[in-house]
Amino acid sequence: MSATATFEASFHDVARDLMARYYEEMTQVAKSSTPRAVHLLIAGNPVELVRAFDLLPVFPEVNDLQLAVKKKSLPYIQKAEEMGYSTDNCAYVKADIGLFMSGREAGFATIPVPAVVLCNYVGCSVYLHWFEHLAEYTNAPAFNIDVPFVRTPDGEPRAEDVTYVVKQLEQLIELFEKVTGKKFEYARLQRTVELSSQVGELWCAIKQLTKQRPAPFDAYFDAVNFMAPLYALRGTEECLRFFELVYKQLHEKAKLGQGPLPEEKIRYVIEGPPPWPYLRNFRELFSRWGAVAVASTYSTVGGLWEFGFKHDPAHPLESIAQHMLKENVCNRNFLQRYEQIGRYVEEWGADGIVIHSVKSCRLFSAGQGDMREYFAREKGWPTLLIESDLEDPRYYSQAQLQNRIDAFFEGIEHRKLTHV
Amino acid sequence: MLYGVGVDVGSTQTKGALINERREIVARSLIDTGANVSRAAERTFDNLVEAAGISRSDVGSVVGTGYGRYKVTFGDTQVTEISCHAKGACYAFPNTRTVVDIGGQDAKAIQVGEGGEVRDFSMNDKCAAGTGRFLANSAEALGLTLGEIGELSLQARHPVRLSTVCTVFVESDILSYLAQGKRVEDILGGVHAAIATRTVSLMHRVGLEQEVTFTGGVSRNIGIVRALEEKLGCPLNVSDDAHYMGAIGAALFALERAQSGIGWAA
Amino acid sequence: MATVMTESRAEAYREVIEDRAFPTVRTYKEKTGRAAVGYFPVYTPVELVHASGMLPVALFGGGNQIELAHADSRFQSFVCSIVKSTLELGLTDKLDCFDGMVFHSICDPARNLASVFKRNFPDKPVEFIHFPQNPGSPSALAYLEGEYQRLVGVFGQWSGHQVSDAQLAASIELYDRVRALLRELYALRAASPERLSAVDSYVLTRCSCLLPPEESVPLLEGALAGARALEAKTQDRVRVVLIGAFCEQPPLDLIDSLERAGCYILDDDFQLGTRFLTDDVASAGGPPLRALAESYLNHSVHASVKHDLRKPRAAGLLDKVRDLHADAVIFLGAKFCEPALFDYALYRRALEEHDIPHLFLEFEEKMWLYDRVQSEVETFVESMLFS
Repeated sequence: MSATATFEASFHDVARDLMARYYEEMTQVAKSSTPRAVHLLIAGNPVELVRAFDLLPVFPEVNDLQLAVKKKSLPYIQKAEEMGYSTDNCAYVKADIGLFMSGREAGFATIPVPAVVLCNYVGCSVYLHWFEHLAEYTNAPAFNIDVPFVRTPDGEPRAEDVTYVVKQLEQLIELFEKVTGKKFEYARLQRTVELSSQVGELWCAIKQLTKQRPAPFDAYFDAVNFMAPLYALRGTEECLRFFELVYKQLHEKAKLGQGPLPEEKIRYVIEGPPPWPYLRNFRELFSRWGAVAVASTYSTVGGLWEFGFKHDPAHPLESIAQHMLKENVCNRNFLQRYEQIGRYVEEWGADGIVIHSVKSCRLFSAGQGDMREYFAREKGWPTLLIESDLEDPRYYSQAQLQNRIDAFFEGIEHRKLTHV
Repeated sequence: MLYGVGVDVGSTQTKGALINERREIVARSLIDTGANVSRAAERTFDNLVEAAGISRSDVGSVVGTGYGRYKVTFGDTQVTEISCHAKGACYAFPNTRTVVDIGGQDAKAIQVGEGGEVRDFSMNDKCAAGTGRFLANSAEALGLTLGEIGELSLQARHPVRLSTVCTVFVESDILSYLAQGKRVEDILGGVHAAIATRTVSLMHRVGLEQEVTFTGGVSRNIGIVRALEEKLGCPLNVSDDAHYMGAIGAALFALERAQSGIGWAA
Repeated sequence: MATVMTESRAEAYREVIEDRAFPTVRTYKEKTGRAAVGYFPVYTPVELVHASGMLPVALFGGGNQIELAHADSRFQSFVCSIVKSTLELGLTDKLDCFDGMVFHSICDPARNLASVFKRNFPDKPVEFIHFPQNPGSPSALAYLEGEYQRLVGVFGQWSGHQVSDAQLAASIELYDRVRALLRELYALRAASPERLSAVDSYVLTRCSCLLPPEESVPLLEGALAGARALEAKTQDRVRVVLIGAFCEQPPLDLIDSLERAGCYILDDDFQLGTRFLTDDVASAGGPPLRALAESYLNHSVHASVKHDLRKPRAAGLLDKVRDLHADAVIFLGAKFCEPALFDYALYRRALEEHDIPHLFLEFEEKMWLYDRVQSEVETFVESMLFS
């Protein structure tokens, strides 16, 4: 390859800087006397509305994963368990509450006391418990957005569901007005939704790039680096600029035939959140086989843009409602997830499926044995089910994981050798 | 003559097999793994070479398998015991389509193709419920050895029901039953039935195609063999070499590698 | 222990509720030619099913009556037992007498179970109800009424019988009667627990959501009359409120052994769906579906699966302990049940703040031995009686 082929992308550094600035702002908010932090959750988040009021979105899940990656989650989990939380409760919740009850100093930021505890109940039932507890511990005003689950045969939300969510968003606007003392500006919301829409379009285009061989980036291990800006900063100008840069650089890499590994030998689709406490080690278990994730369901928790959804600034509240109701993996039913994975395998050209079952998140994991059965037996696609956790380092067994992953790729490789 | 060596480094025992180019087993080795995993692997290799009366340089290739496979530093490559058990089982019983293996920490069901290749496999959950460890803890709670419990379980008249297949809690269940005056044989009947149920469920995940070959250390337990056969409604192949199946499969991979030069990537 | 139902009758009903071949449902279907609908815990608007001409039947998993041989390959070891045992019943053809299944938005495993059912039993109708988790919102009533309207259409399709408001009103009246009797049953136990054991009350309650309401009404009336007439001596026991077992159900012998360990269980949340609505629905007024929705939102119990920011559940528990003059709280949570286990953290905080003694216990429906649990309760009781 020519010298130009050693193209060095800078977006990972830019993402790091962006998140560092976000956390600086969070610390400032924590230290200031004006409450500006809105705690909300990732799944189908309505961050546009938060940004339209100049409030700062705080995502405990993002803080949790930072703690886990920095190997600091366990003492907080244990703190929560001392308070009475069970070993069988979601460790994201435990780490967050442990952190909250231990002074809120996370190292990378000080976590503010919420001005509003906003539970966007999008699929995950644990969210409801989590934020109920957070409200109890902080006495902050709490608001649940109840988002009806996709449950009808056509897989579409009902018109009544959309109306119901929009009405609740309007009630939320009233609460934000009360908390900030500011009048709601419709045009501001249209602008944040417009920015969101453009980012969604870029993110969709970025995800199409991994259809190429080799894929220019890993749609799991690299994609997670884009997810924090996508959620924490969506609806801002700097978020849009960031995704423009990411698209440009990845497009360039794709043109040059560069991938995340020296050689792409196996393409797979991965389902489930990553094991943050051992992310690097986990990635290595795949890299050593030359295996690249070409698509992942985890990267669609906050929103599912790759199949064409875009926010609509002409109908901001309705499109936020649509996003919450059906344009994210969490509020779609389990069989719709099977379909989503099936599309990935076929349209992105994968050799197999890896299901990473995490104990903490039963929304993702409960029933993944059936999912494995469906893909392995009914579809005849190589499918691996492995188990660990997204936050609790005690649940990661390197030897067990490696054994299963090695055996799986041995099988895929054998198949490739004999089918040539 | 070309030879292939397989070294299966397990958590408690290290097994070895040496085969010649006619695919005949020439030597076996079985030692405790102990604390020094690399040493155990080396000693196994030495044992095999010595028992076969050949020199180290006669060995064309060495494949390491088992949890300690990356400690087989003198080996040419590593293959998981899943692939190796499948290969070994098809060597011993060429019509094998399903392999079930219960080891100390793991239980697995493997669906294999005609050439002994892995089509699909499924293993126990993260917890060791229903593995060899469960049997070991049960034996200990009853003051028996692993060698005794299989036969005894066959004498159960009214097997008890266990609340759990959890390796941690089984002990207190057993103590409760002893306190209630239950017969040891009936308790063991319950223990063996619980493992069999769990194992059959694992086998359902990959689909149950005959013939079924049972490998691994627990296959020497006649109580489990009978309980499984009863639940599956079909006979199980159990080789005298069941314990060496992983090592034999590894040795076969080693031989093929030496013969063709094709190996695994990792 | 004093018992309302004569030994043989109690045994007979125990057998009826424990029989996973659902003999009463099969008989009902043969006799009436009607369909039956099984529903997963916790609450379902049974009136909608009943008015559509079908028998609603509460399903409570496999208890300790079945072996999990298939379902644990679909749901992992960290998923609660009732999800797996319900699927196991399906995979072993025990649910073939049900013409449809209903699941609800109570927790993530139960929700995914609905999908797994759909895939594994493509010929069996499966419905999913999303209950509002923002009952304080002014929009929740219209939403839930609309959801019920949708269900009426669905159930009408299942039964081939479109429902009229009059039929709905009649079903509501019938189930209001059942709920009123259950309230009396619980009130009686709370006032004089020596007259009605927790396990007998459990069996009766279970009958009320298994049998047709037309049959359970006289059964409950008879049992209540019997209990009221009973001469029984109060024993020196700890008076407890039990909480945490609203979905997966403990084995009968476990309930029994809790009381035998020295407690009177004044109140519990077993089979909570049967008593979810706290007032007569008819008294809520308005058209039937609106009255049902209104009752769910504003006249219902505290529940770990219903998130109402207006009514903290820990405060509800404290009220109950005070109202019933209970000495202590026993938390009996199903292993891996996240809604229950999350609530425990808040209950514990509140109970400690108010110096109310409490005991944490975990159970699984498939338990077969209770020695451990019983000795914990005995120790707890001793510590209270001798302190």
